[in-house]
Amino acid sequence: MWKGILGLGVLTAVVAVALFRWGGAHAGVRAALEVAQDAEHRFGHHRPPTKGSETYQYAYPARRLPAEAVYDPTPPPPPPRDRRVHEYELVITEDVVHEVAPGVHMPAWAFNGTVPGPVLRGREGDLMRIKLINRGKLPHTIHFHGIHPAEMDGVFELVPPGGEFTYEFVARPYGVFPYHCHSMPTNQHIHNGLYGMMIIDPREDRPPMRELAMVMSAFDLDRDGEADFYAWNGKAFQYADHPIELTVGEKVRMYVMNIFEEPMAPHIHGNMFHLIRSGTSLKPQELTDVLTLGIAERAILEFQYDSPGPYMFQCHLTEHMELGLMGWFQVKPKADRAAQPASHAHPAAGAGN
Amino acid sequence: MSSKWTVWASFLLPVLLLGVLLVWFWHSTGGLRFEAPAPIEAVTYERVVLLPASGAVPERIVAHIRNVGPGPVTIAHVQVGWFSRASWDFSIVPSPTIPRLGTAQVIIPYPWTEGEPYEIVLFSSNGIPFVHEVAIATATPQWSARSFGQFAMLGIYVGVLPVFLGILWLPFLRQLGRRAYGFLLSLTIGLLVFIGVDALADALAEAQHLPGPYQGVGVIAIGVALSLLGLYALSRTIEARQQARGGEMSLTIAYLVAFGIGIHNLGEGLAIGGAYALGEVATGALLIIGFMIHNLTEGVAIVAPIVRSEFGTGRWRHLIWLGLLAGLPTILGTSMGAFTPSPLLAVLFISIGAGAVFQVVLEIAAQMRREHGLAFAQPANVSGFLLGLAVMYATGLFITV
Repeated sequence: MWKGILGLGVLTAVVAVALFRWGGAHAGVRAALEVAQDAEHRFGHHRPPTKGSETYQYAYPARRLPAEAVYDPTPPPPPPRDRRVHEYELVITEDVVHEVAPGVHMPAWAFNGTVPGPVLRGREGDLMRIKLINRGKLPHTIHFHGIHPAEMDGVFELVPPGGEFTYEFVARPYGVFPYHCHSMPTNQHIHNGLYGMMIIDPREDRPPMRELAMVMSAFDLDRDGEADFYAWNGKAFQYADHPIELTVGEKVRMYVMNIFEEPMAPHIHGNMFHLIRSGTSLKPQELTDVLTLGIAERAILEFQYDSPGPYMFQCHLTEHMELGLMGWFQVKPKADRAAQPASHAHPAAGAGN
Repeated sequence: MSSKWTVWASFLLPVLLLGVLLVWFWHSTGGLRFEAPAPIEAVTYERVVLLPASGAVPERIVAHIRNVGPGPVTIAHVQVGWFSRASWDFSIVPSPTIPRLGTAQVIIPYPWTEGEPYEIVLFSSNGIPFVHEVAIATATPQWSARSFGQFAMLGIYVGVLPVFLGILWLPFLRQLGRRAYGFLLSLTIGLLVFIGVDALADALAEAQHLPGPYQGVGVIAIGVALSLLGLYALSRTIEARQQARGGEMSLTIAYLVAFGIGIHNLGEGLAIGGAYALGEVATGALLIIGFMIHNLTEGVAIVAPIVRSEFGTGRWRHLIWLGLLAGLPTILGTSMGAFTPSPLLAVLFISIGAGAVFQVVLEIAAQMRREHGLAFAQPANVSGFLLGLAVMYATGLFITV
């Protein structure tokens, strides 16, 4: 009799040990360790994005942003001085699949299919003629910053789905300006992707330089009020995956704009820049290396690198940086430039929008 | 002959028709047109292991995840949050695309530091985030003789020792008169009812952490039914044999109590081991002291049925077996909880423990009436029962994990 009950105890022990072994085999630490070590062998040399430009890695290697998906940071060149009318056509669609980080897609609303929209460029005193075509299901507008009549302000007249509207105004003053949809709820319309940069050149061209246009923005994928990704030109880490190539001594003019609802602090490493606030002056006001851009503020930063190597450019709000507002200038020695005439074309050129 | 065929046909017809219906539905969706406005994806974290740096290999976080959504999911991006979030390097095995109910391990070489809170965010290719919070970072215990020894000792402290100490009360209890014995058995019932209700609550709470497809509450029903009915059938079988031999049931009941408490302690050990492993136990010493006092009462519950039975020389060995049966599973529980935590097994064991305890309650109540002619509904016995509840409540105040 008691043997039976003792047997029950032994049986319990056996069953429990078997379960323990089973658990060990399936979810066991040993298996996890082996897998982790195996992965270390394969991916162990990868580093978080802040630890150097050559070996950095922040995403599954097979899922890096492809070169053709990079937003070209080069704005259109200054328009010819005798062209007095600058015409653009902006098409709004609401079904854009935007790759906000490598392999991470979000539904976006976009001007001409990209977030941010294309850089518009005109000259002070010339006529801007911008045709909006609404191919979405909601009414949209374009609201431009700058001086213009009320009826061209893109606030009162909603362009219905399927509709068109042509904005016409004399570009003034010269500077850097945001444009964005102003339909309500405006927060949704802007941060779903309907924004872009407009550059108005002065009558006399600024000194020619290598030019970059950089829109700083962010994306809240799960709508919890906190951005999940921050980006230069709409895609987190795209210029970390594909550094922008510069040359020692090459003069650079970077147009920057903050279109998100948090301050942004563009900062370039190993260098100082001449700051022209809002782009509304010909002469720089300040030599610095970090600038706080308030909401919708913008500026021109002019600089050149004296020695070759990788230099980070980032938002100095560290969370913004670590969630995507970070990239690299790969500065090459001058000799390379002489040897390769085509070196001016950086990897992102001709790609993106 | 023909009737047999008719029976089989009448069984198979609905099955065949269902098969036809399913095939048709699979290919045509039956005219239903439901499209989700957004991708439906669900991923749960089954386990998050924090590994310290060892040699040239840096610190890392290994997240064991399971896809519990309706379709495959692809993990495309990882962020680790501390005060603020940061995108981080990761690798994922066996594949970033996880089939339904499939698992993967996400390995993040993140230099976590002891004592900090962290948040792990996985983004699917459709931009859906899945978040897991690590309340206090501490190295997850790794399997080794030394660490196993630690958790085995933890099990001995909270499970085995207190049970044996409780059993040592037996000589004292044997001095009690018949009325006092009724009080003692009622007290035992109170202790056990409290344990059972507590275990059910734990199982329900734990079931909330289980992914939907695992149907946590259903697992509880299975666990409780398994032990309640299984032990019922077992005790009836033993009782029938005992009666045939003219023996008494007291010792059998004691073993049943020990068995039930043993499974309960297994579940308890899982919770304690898991909490220690996750670094969620802030007051370790106090917790152990609380469990020692709490589980002392379990020893009393085990020997209560045999207090008044014949206890000849040589039978004291049973006390050792009873104590081991009730106490040893705690060691198993703490070790499993620490090294291979599985929410599914935890729910199952805790509910098996609950069912076993309730079965034992019925058994003791029957024994009171049958063998000792004691009525439960007497002021003394009811107050014993209530005191049992109160003792468990009071000693339980120390051990809120």
